[in-house]
Amino acid sequence: MALKQISSNKCFGGLQKVFEHDSVELNCKMKFAVYLPPKAETGKCPALYWLSGLTCTEQNFISKSGYHQAASEHGLVVIAPDTSPRGCNIKGEDESWDFGTGAGFYVDATEDPWKTNYRMYSYVTEELPQLINANFPVDPQRTSIFGHSMGGHGALICALKNPGKYKSVSAFAPICNPVLCPWGKKAFSGYLGTDQSKWKAYDATHLVKSYPGSQLDILIDQGKDDQFLLDGQLLPDNFIAACTEKKIPVVFRLQEGYDHSYYFIATFITDHIRHHAKYLNA
Amino acid sequence: MEEESGEELGLDRSTPKDFHFYHMDLYDSEDRPQLFPEENPRMRKEVVQAETANESTGAGDGKAQSDLREEVEELVHLYGLEDDHELGDEFVDENMPKMGVSEYPPYGMKRRDPAREQRDWRLSGEAAEAEDLGFGGWGSAGQCQDLREVYRYTHGRASEEYECYVIPEEEDEEEAADVFCVTCKTPIRAFQKVFDEHKEHEVIPLSEALESAKDEIHKNMYKLEKQIIDMENFANHLEEVFITVEENFGKQEQNFESHYNEILETLAQKYEEKIQALGEKKKERLEALYGQLVSCGENLDTCKELMETIEEMCHEEKVDFIKDAVAMADRLGKFLKTKTDVEISAQPDFEDQTLDFSDVEQLMDSINTIPAPSAPVINPQAPNSATGSSVRVCWSLYSDDTVESYQLSYRPVQDSSPGKDQAEFTVTIKETYCSVTDLVPNTQYEFWVTAHNRAGPSPSSERAVYVTAPSPPIIKTKEIRSCEEAVLICWESGNLNPVDSYTVELTQAESPEASGVTESVVGIPTCESLVQLQPGQSYIIYVRALNMGGPSVRSEPATVHTIGSYFRLNKDTCHPWLAISQDGLTIIRSERSTPRREPPPSDTRFTRCVAVMGNLIPVRGHHYWEVEVNEHLDYTVGVAFEDVPKQEDLGANCLSWCMRHTFASSRHKYEFLHNRTTPDIRITVPPKKIGILLDYENSKLSFFNVDLSQHLYTFSCQLHKFVHPCFSLEKPGCLKIHNGISMPKHVTFY
Repeated sequence: MALKQISSNKCFGGLQKVFEHDSVELNCKMKFAVYLPPKAETGKCPALYWLSGLTCTEQNFISKSGYHQAASEHGLVVIAPDTSPRGCNIKGEDESWDFGTGAGFYVDATEDPWKTNYRMYSYVTEELPQLINANFPVDPQRTSIFGHSMGGHGALICALKNPGKYKSVSAFAPICNPVLCPWGKKAFSGYLGTDQSKWKAYDATHLVKSYPGSQLDILIDQGKDDQFLLDGQLLPDNFIAACTEKKIPVVFRLQEGYDHSYYFIATFITDHIRHHAKYLNA
Repeated sequence: MEEESGEELGLDRSTPKDFHFYHMDLYDSEDRPQLFPEENPRMRKEVVQAETANESTGAGDGKAQSDLREEVEELVHLYGLEDDHELGDEFVDENMPKMGVSEYPPYGMKRRDPAREQRDWRLSGEAAEAEDLGFGGWGSAGQCQDLREVYRYTHGRASEEYECYVIPEEEDEEEAADVFCVTCKTPIRAFQKVFDEHKEHEVIPLSEALESAKDEIHKNMYKLEKQIIDMENFANHLEEVFITVEENFGKQEQNFESHYNEILETLAQKYEEKIQALGEKKKERLEALYGQLVSCGENLDTCKELMETIEEMCHEEKVDFIKDAVAMADRLGKFLKTKTDVEISAQPDFEDQTLDFSDVEQLMDSINTIPAPSAPVINPQAPNSATGSSVRVCWSLYSDDTVESYQLSYRPVQDSSPGKDQAEFTVTIKETYCSVTDLVPNTQYEFWVTAHNRAGPSPSSERAVYVTAPSPPIIKTKEIRSCEEAVLICWESGNLNPVDSYTVELTQAESPEASGVTESVVGIPTCESLVQLQPGQSYIIYVRALNMGGPSVRSEPATVHTIGSYFRLNKDTCHPWLAISQDGLTIIRSERSTPRREPPPSDTRFTRCVAVMGNLIPVRGHHYWEVEVNEHLDYTVGVAFEDVPKQEDLGANCLSWCMRHTFASSRHKYEFLHNRTTPDIRITVPPKKIGILLDYENSKLSFFNVDLSQHLYTFSCQLHKFVHPCFSLEKPGCLKIHNGISMPKHVTFY
């Protein structure tokens, strides 16, 4: 479990670092980014996990979203892992941008040849948090999660599958109902097989229906001019309907004129950090 | 000469001490003048003057002594010596018995006091000089001889006394004592302690005894000093009394003199009048008598003439006689018919004339009484001397006046109805002040005062207007608005007439009565005040009204809590279809009121939008309140400027920012409206209680689901003026406002 520091840059009084380690779950070297706010020098801070979208590495979020200032002010340790195992030499892993490398979909694969390496759900909910708790000044009791697109889906399922584990959850343009969208169908059939009943275990909209009701305040921002929204990849209405029915508190903001890019994320990242800080620093 | 000597003798006796200090050895010395090497020229001059004076008077033996004394006194003054008695007496002594000098006995005591000796030496030197110079002018040696005998006599006596006193002292010197016997209070020699009568006695070292004796002396000196001061004070006091007595008697004399002169004048005037009247009367009577006398004489003449004529007729012839007789008879008859007045027109005796001395008598009476006082001077009203029902009136009198009592009269000043005479009240008091009670608050009264004594009343003083303090104001408790930092408090004057200003007093209720620090805001001209406060405290607030006379009593208290912001709904803005509960915090739109016709447009009252505004305190900062809603109710909550168009819907313009909820076909729709636009926001759990945070500092208005601590939306709004909470009900139902509550923590993140 040795950590190898790849980079370290001072940012808003804190440090933006990137580490590499050998992942047990994924059977490969994995990189992750961690931001240590100034407060982390003197005491334990809450941990906020960011899950990125398709094709992303740990770099996209830390270089494009501009979250540092808010994280520094609220004193949050922000962890951004990669989106899939890399260099596993699985046949076809680099064939498409929406499956395989850079498209782990935060599930534990059950199908060959993916099941040995593609265990991103266990990685982000078990292995990585243990690593972080062991090596950084974080308070394990205060953890939240958020993400973008595929990462938004990941954040939602992590929260919904582990009631009480995360204090809060938020998402930018999440894939809300992957069972019903092309990306989801492709990824889930590849990683989980053809039995669609298994897919529901990784579908936010379906998970809401069985969510036991521990309080969870969900914030979702969605660009109205997001092409993937129009393509029916994200399907937030299904999720909202399910939440409305199950009385899961969601504030869904359809942001006029915004698309799916990091420009959209950068615009509302402060709102999301504050949303989490409200619960993490309460 | 004998008598004069006796006089000198008396002087000697009175000052034997001074006498003793002469260093008589000097007088035997032949070279006396050399003892005054630096004798100043002025002294010389004076001495020469003395000499000439002595020469001139030398012939008059009998007068010599008295002249000499005068001269001595003069010299004493010229020499400027501090103790003229001493010198004077010595001088006289020395001048008189020049020849007795050699017989002066030497006095051992002098040697112990060199300083004193020095002075005495000088004095005696001067005296000797003067005496020496003066000697030439003296009369016969025999006279001097006599003087010398007298002198020696006195001197001898004095010396004897002195020697009696001195001898034991000399003995003491011989056997120097070294300890002090406390019992005998005498210094003894140490060996004496061993035997003698001091054997059993307590002894202490002489130095110790000396110390204690010194202490004793110092104490006594201190006492004496005190006594001196006391006596001086007493003397000063006596002096004051002296002056007062002098003044008082002077005043009395003056008073008596003026009365006396007045009476004399009156009497003189009466005398003049009387004399004149008598003279006139006399003249009148004499004239009358004279007139009567003249007419009486005339009658007599006529009678005589008639008699003569008749006699002549008798000598005439018969015929002529008859003729004449008839004519005469006629004439006589006529004459006799004329009445001869023999009554005396004027009586010689006096009519009984009484003189009216009543006024003089009155003056005489008043000579022993005091004059009636002059008008007192009424003071203007002292600030803060009045209460709501009383004023304290003060006046003063001229110090010369004697006053037994004052009559203070007053009546209310009423400008409105001058025709109607207000009742006057009068009280009698002894003092030069009076607290007049049972008055009407905040009312002007006119006061005037007269002073009285046996001689009568003084003229009335000027009239002074006093005003009673106002009635306490009445706090409009239902209009109190507050926030964490301030309170806006309104009140009714409680007075019909205007008052000068108001004072707001506030005490922190949390801190028990012990501290009871009261802060005051003074000089408030209007019936409302915005007072800065500390957050999270409870205050008890009172208001007083003030005018010239003073402050009113406190108003009834009002309690204010600086927890959150507190406001009530403003009924003036309320749409007629809405009802507001008694506590001013619940809005009800009932089913029945809907069909009524739309009211006419208004600037203050909502006419189309069925809304009402709250009265938020105009303080920048944070304000938070909550609204309890029914999740199926159509409502709008938010803020708006006071001048928001009342005919438009809330959020339909740029003067209001609102959250609107509509419930249609089992779907909840939430809009965050400003200037008719809203972001597209979906909320999965309908709030039952909406929290609203108005943040002037950051120009933000945020909405929350209170139960979930869920942030719903935040407006960024430019609040160039103060806004008020606003509420509207699009369908029948009710909204309940919760305020005066502290802000939940989750709200602080926005």
